[in-house]
Amino acid sequence: MHRIVIFLLLFILAASWPVFAADDFAGSVKNVQGSVLVKRQDMTLSAERGMKIYANDVISTGKDGSVGIILRDNTIFSLGPESELELKEYVFVPDQGSFYMLAKMVRGTFVYVSGLIGKLSPDSIKIETPVGTIAIRGTRFAAKIAGN
Amino acid sequence: MKGFVAIVSCLVLLLLLSACASQKSMIVLLPDQDGKVGSIEVTNAQGSQVADKSGEGVTVDGSGKPQAAPPMSEEEIKATFGAALAVEPLPPQSFLLYFKTDSFDLTNGSAALLQPILDVINKTQSTDVSVIGHSDRSGSKEYNLTLSTKRAQTVRDLLVGKGVDPAILAVTSYGEANPLVPTPDNVKEPKNRRVEVIIR
Repeated sequence: MHRIVIFLLLFILAASWPVFAADDFAGSVKNVQGSVLVKRQDMTLSAERGMKIYANDVISTGKDGSVGIILRDNTIFSLGPESELELKEYVFVPDQGSFYMLAKMVRGTFVYVSGLIGKLSPDSIKIETPVGTIAIRGTRFAAKIAGN
Repeated sequence: MKGFVAIVSCLVLLLLLSACASQKSMIVLLPDQDGKVGSIEVTNAQGSQVADKSGEGVTVDGSGKPQAAPPMSEEEIKATFGAALAVEPLPPQSFLLYFKTDSFDLTNGSAALLQPILDVINKTQSTDVSVIGHSDRSGSKEYNLTLSTKRAQTVRDLLVGKGVDPAILAVTSYGEANPLVPTPDNVKEPKNRRVEVIIR
């Protein structure tokens, strides 16, 4: 009996976890052109204006695609055609002083603008590419990543 | 025959290698919307390279150290990054609304900001607006958290009353924990009695 209760409790916890996590969105899609996909866990979604973006999302654009995203701390990522961005980790809880962003520019063209994390804690931002990492001091840059 | 296959294989391999080597990645520093230029540093296992002037770049491939690249012209930047630049969102805009002492009433000056806030939400077709309440340090922490929450809710209700979709509004409050002007406890400070509206 105990086992069943524990199993049920675990099941309820596991089932409710993504619901809590889902409230913590990282940002939203602001502008979309052409075909843009968001891979989230096992789902692949078509990006739309206003769609929320979460940590762990992989955003990719087709040949005719481009997309502009604003994160909660005002960081801005824009992607040109045939580009892919992995938002690997994102934490922005300013009243608790916790900030962290890890993103990978996998391939394609990008324009990046720093937000509040860049202002408050620049070392908490890590941007990876297949050929090296980019450290940022309060700024905007464009990147063309050849990919693998 | 075997020798021929080996030679062809070698040639194909060489071609592939040279194709890879010519596929350079490139990072270019740009001024932000205020014209400010920061710096970037690109690092890999072979070394690192800094760029700190507008248009300055860093190129890097899989095999070597990141290299400084000559500044790109505006035409080159447009040709390479035009599609991404065309969808680049404008930076978020924020407004500060102030309140009368110990109340949920906006000061007259702040009440006049509601229309400009609505205009920006409509013009940018924002789908992500934060409404963040703050208080000064007069009174207890708990009281101030409640007060700042009610202030944020007041602003939300005013915006919803003017037709803003409640689904795009995220209401939070920090109480007295995040003052604009730091003060000792129990000090009244009008600049800290505020609601920040950020339109993304």
